[in-house]
Amino acid sequence: MVSNAVRRYFLFAALSLLVLPGIAHAHGGVVDENDLCIINIGYLKARFKIYVPQQTGHDEYCEDIPVRGESVFIMEYQHDGLSEAEIDFRIIKNVTGKSTFAQLDDVLAIDDIDAVTIHYAPPRVVPDVFTLLQSFDEDGEYIGIVSATRTDTGKVYTTVFPFEVGYIGAGVWPWLIAGFLVLQFNYWFMSRRRTKAAAIAAVILVVSALQTGRVVADETSWASKAGYFQVQYASNLEPIVINKIHSWILQVESADGKAVTGAEITIDGGMPEHNHGLPTLPRVVEELGEGRYRVAGMRFHMGGYWELRISIAAGSRRDDVLITLNL
Amino acid sequence: MAISSKSGSRWLALVVAILLLATVWYGWQRYGNPASWSFDERTLIASLWIENLPPLPPDPTNAVADDPRAQALGHRLFFDTRLSSNGMISCATCHQPIRHFTDGLSKGVALGMSKRNTPSIVGTAYSPWLYWDGRKDSQWSQALAPLEDPNEHGGNRLKILSVIASDSAYRSAYESLFGAPPDLTRQQDIDRAFANAGKAIAAYERLLMHGISRFDAYVAHLEAGGDSLDQNFLSNNEIKGLRLFIGEARCTECHNGPLFSNNEFHNTGLLSIAGETPDRGRIDGVRTLLADPFNCLGEFSDDSIRACSELRYARMGAELIGATRTPSLRNLANTAPFQSKGQFQSLPEVLRHYNQAPPAMIGHNEAKSLGLSNWELRNLEAFLHALAAPIAADQYWLQPPPIE
Repeated sequence: MVSNAVRRYFLFAALSLLVLPGIAHAHGGVVDENDLCIINIGYLKARFKIYVPQQTGHDEYCEDIPVRGESVFIMEYQHDGLSEAEIDFRIIKNVTGKSTFAQLDDVLAIDDIDAVTIHYAPPRVVPDVFTLLQSFDEDGEYIGIVSATRTDTGKVYTTVFPFEVGYIGAGVWPWLIAGFLVLQFNYWFMSRRRTKAAAIAAVILVVSALQTGRVVADETSWASKAGYFQVQYASNLEPIVINKIHSWILQVESADGKAVTGAEITIDGGMPEHNHGLPTLPRVVEELGEGRYRVAGMRFHMGGYWELRISIAAGSRRDDVLITLNL
Repeated sequence: MAISSKSGSRWLALVVAILLLATVWYGWQRYGNPASWSFDERTLIASLWIENLPPLPPDPTNAVADDPRAQALGHRLFFDTRLSSNGMISCATCHQPIRHFTDGLSKGVALGMSKRNTPSIVGTAYSPWLYWDGRKDSQWSQALAPLEDPNEHGGNRLKILSVIASDSAYRSAYESLFGAPPDLTRQQDIDRAFANAGKAIAAYERLLMHGISRFDAYVAHLEAGGDSLDQNFLSNNEIKGLRLFIGEARCTECHNGPLFSNNEFHNTGLLSIAGETPDRGRIDGVRTLLADPFNCLGEFSDDSIRACSELRYARMGAELIGATRTPSLRNLANTAPFQSKGQFQSLPEVLRHYNQAPPAMIGHNEAKSLGLSNWELRNLEAFLHALAAPIAADQYWLQPPPIE
């Protein structure tokens, strides 16, 4: 029985190897990297996604868009260079005759690019994330052309990505369905194994959560990671409540209990369970002597578990202290 | 034969038992009494009580914030349609007192269409940030922007000042508050007088506070040692909704304190609306704010020591991409449609969205999917309606001032 299931699993796995390359073909500069859709503009990378919000809601597409309508193209920069670069974005009809295999050279060979352009966003600096709106009225093959010009060196990086709207290619659907079935079967077989793993992971999570809870209780002095420093804090807001800006005084001592003066201290923090940081950027505004430092701009905006990382550099020593608190 | 009939009746008994259990379970879910509150839950409930709202903090950036003369002047300015290019738009066009100072539209409509949904003004004196994207840091500075927005009042500061100069009541009120009228050939004088008009409007807006809701009456009853299931205050379904609100539904992570808002910025994975790219939210708002000459650190702020702790320590960074300000939940029935672009017309749509918590189009959705049942969502909605309350201001302030 078991060996039968295993054999079947390998059969499907082998089949999926045959089928998958047919579906997950990379279109020029847009590739699927570990389940994330990425656009590579030279060495500059961005997370790439397309939505058709009015038609398909939160469904996210990597390159081919299954329906006509108003599409939103999004590039979330993974590289700060893109925040400072001038980006221009052009969408043309794919007249290269090379279908999804069109490359930059094929695009450059087009005589009158403006004649086939359906959208052109001229170069401009857009920080953090680039978005573009384009309505597609007809099914067809298109090519996106993205250039990033570095404002410091003037160097231009360009990438092209062919894509389809409405999946006009005849052979796509059967492949998709076959691929889906294979993935689904794989998933069923895998999930049998996963339930056990998930249960173990859950137990580990609960145990570690309980331990975290224990660590938080009643700590007054916090040791740094490498043990160079000890930190105590006092808040001018006692007890600390949420949504109120206030300041702290940090008492920094060396491992042997001597006051640490002239230290450079930075503060950062957040709620790891919610993937967000502090709502403010607190910083040391005054050294009060005898190892005491006033930190202004403290504020917490949610109840729950918070972590604060205090980075201390004094003399040749540099170390981090993690302060945890439950609000 | 006998054996099979016996096993048949056994099956029947089993089916009946299961049906019976299901009915009892349904009845309990639907009509059963909620449990009483634990100590921690009581603390959390009390933290949302309007009576625990601290006294209105002073606005050091606005010297006339609590001056009755400024309140009267601001009241008139708020309802004055002369402060627009076509003479038909006032602040009250979009901020209608009868709709809790909102307009019932997805996006505000004045001369043209605004960029976002019209937020309520009530209680905003407590917020360090104004606008959905927090691009303003005081009520007075916020009040200036619509006056010059071509889609809203469509005026400009010279035109606003000429209306004030041409009206003798305005002129004497202005001079008694701010001194000599501005020299209209000097830009700095013009800007300062324009800021002064905003400060008068803000003095009026500071009077608009949330009143006592059924929920608050329930908490008062609890605090006085009353029965937690007393149906004179909240129904059983509303009490169940309250339990979800402070617990499983995780609402108080952002909607906390007596105003049901932490006044901070969060990305909750909303879809963009037709004809627009996704709202970039606070990531742009904070940049606009830092460059704004009318911010807390600017020369028109009355804060002589420029404390401005909120502005000085304001956070930048990627987690603000697509993040918008947490709105209050008091008076939701009057403030629909919901969200920064009015994406949802009704509360059930909003609750379904948070129950699902889909990944964000841009940035990162901070909310986690909740897995609540439809019953639970209905109870949550019932509770939210129990937060409705009249505005705690004299009726005089909720209508245009009498013509002098």
